[in-house]
Amino acid sequence: MDVERLLEEIKTKLSDVLVEAKIDRPRYASIKVKPEGMVKAATLLKENGFNHPLSVSGVDYPDRGEVEVVYHVSCLDSKSLVALKTALPRGQPSMPSLREIWRGVHFHERETWEMLGVKFEGHPELKRFLLQEDWEEGVYPLRKEFKLKPES
Amino acid sequence: MSLKPIERIRTKISCWKPIKDMLNWGRAWSLWWVHYETGCCCPEIMSLVAARFDHERLGAIPFPTLRECDLIIIEGVVTKKMAKRLRMIYDQMPDPKYVIALGDCAITGGFWWDSYSVVQGVDKVVPVDVYVPGCPPRPEQILQGFRLLQKKIMEGK
Amino acid sequence: MPIRVAWGIQHPMSGHLTLYLDVDGDIVLNTEADVGYTHRGLEKIAEYRNFIQYVPVIERACDFDASNFALGYVRAVEALMGIEVPERAKYLRVIAAELSRIMSHLYAQALLSMTGGFETMTVWSANDRELILDLLERLSGARVTHTYIIPGGVRADIPKGFKEKAYDVLNYLERRIWDYYKMLFQNKTFQDRTMGVGVLSKQDAIELGITGPNLRASGVDFDVRRDDPYEAYDKLDFEVVVEKEGDSYARALVRFYEIAQSIKIIKQALKDLPEGPIRCKTPPMLPRGETYTRIESGRGELGVYIVGSGTNKPYRLKISAPSFRNLAGLVYLCRDIPMGDIPVIYYSLDILLLDVDR
Repeated sequence: MDVERLLEEIKTKLSDVLVEAKIDRPRYASIKVKPEGMVKAATLLKENGFNHPLSVSGVDYPDRGEVEVVYHVSCLDSKSLVALKTALPRGQPSMPSLREIWRGVHFHERETWEMLGVKFEGHPELKRFLLQEDWEEGVYPLRKEFKLKPES
Repeated sequence: MSLKPIERIRTKISCWKPIKDMLNWGRAWSLWWVHYETGCCCPEIMSLVAARFDHERLGAIPFPTLRECDLIIIEGVVTKKMAKRLRMIYDQMPDPKYVIALGDCAITGGFWWDSYSVVQGVDKVVPVDVYVPGCPPRPEQILQGFRLLQKKIMEGK
Repeated sequence: MPIRVAWGIQHPMSGHLTLYLDVDGDIVLNTEADVGYTHRGLEKIAEYRNFIQYVPVIERACDFDASNFALGYVRAVEALMGIEVPERAKYLRVIAAELSRIMSHLYAQALLSMTGGFETMTVWSANDRELILDLLERLSGARVTHTYIIPGGVRADIPKGFKEKAYDVLNYLERRIWDYYKMLFQNKTFQDRTMGVGVLSKQDAIELGITGPNLRASGVDFDVRRDDPYEAYDKLDFEVVVEKEGDSYARALVRFYEIAQSIKIIKQALKDLPEGPIRCKTPPMLPRGETYTRIESGRGELGVYIVGSGTNKPYRLKISAPSFRNLAGLVYLCRDIPMGDIPVIYYSLDILLLDVDR
């Protein structure tokens, strides 16, 4: 399904959790929803042909007090891309895992947990992935308070 | 039956200069190295193995089994997660063994001088015999690294 | 009674990866992958380097395909700034990117033939790679990490005598790859080793997020160069190679035909090269905003998500690497197979551990 019709569907069916929806350039849209509406939005996207997950990223905004999680998903038939975003509170960022909907986000969610501390409820394997085994608990490298120090 | 007299004779003979030179010559011209490819300098190692910059004319071949190799070429980044395993691999190789540190990342950390997971220089983990700088070094430079190592072995290390 | 075996950190395949296998006799029941041995923290380093300094850094994220990775990052920066490069620069970028792609595919083929015991093919592919490396050295000055593509255009124009030399090499390579076909792909032993091994169905490939030649070998007709075109690809004429079986043989065959298509693209680009400048001015700071761009690299689709901060360093840079997605395919496929099939599947998926760990 192409992005214009998708945005119409979203505006009607997700009006209670939608924060923002816009088209950035041809065949690329970005949708922001509240955390409790992520599962519903993801299911709606999958039903409309967006079943090829590409990446999951997290961005840390300490001045706004939130961590934003972005899912990029593509539709192979209409050759378009959608960015599904949500903002989680920085103290306790946690949201339901979307692994049941898109199988391919398994490793991506694990990495986002390790780097930013976002807890995905229902994910079976949230443990050390890319960092060394004796890395300190509770320290997340991609958060802004973690500074790089050159070791001399 | 005790083997001590045979051991004593063996040690005396191999300290005799012509025999020692022959043993060193044998070691220098048959350096078998371990398959340890981190990645960044890997295309240049591949060019070295191929026919244009052939390193087999110096007697060196890559060999999969650790226990029969005497050289390890450490190229690319050594992370903290890998450092422990690198030491285990080094300890499993039989004596006499040699180490070549290839590329800026192995010598001092290179591009990743301020990274949180990179060991700044592989000589903190294993003792190094020859350093080959470059990012990545050309195959001719790696061949010169091999020649320097051979000279070092022939002089008796 | 299954026992746990570590397909160790040091193994005769390339790259640092530990696979924990649950084996029963010779059959692997389940696999767990342990990666992260070459993790350098590229995404954190991006917040400490300005956007021009980061171009050589991202080339070292995957240096078999250096120009394609640099192109992906530079396109994201330019999309954020809202600038468009001159026409001549677009064609030169296509030439560098396609030469990189041929290099990457030849390397993948060299490694795959090593597992089948065909060391001759390994040396043949490595030798022909040397010709392409020479061409890239004439163009940009370096063999492996070129730093040729920069924000605003390309670094230098093509030197004198490059076109004739390039036509010589490409004509030779066009004839030579059919030798590879007869030697490797029509060889009964290689066919027995790779046909029917590691079959990835179309539905599984889409749901796991696999991209690139691996997706096209499972029957999905999608290529970013044709379907979401960038640079000069919309003006060039090439075919997208699709196979239906989804096994290791199909994946190797897709890469092989893509080499032939890349040669065709480079010849067209050299012939149609327009006159004009090769660089345009870029603003000194990255504006605020965010964007996601994607390109087709040798291993799959590379996506770059960049958030600008108003200074010359990005606020956040996320590299969505192709091998990271293909790793999910490896873990999914290594179940209920004999242990000897693991190297064939690993090399046919073309996973590079530097990409996975970044």
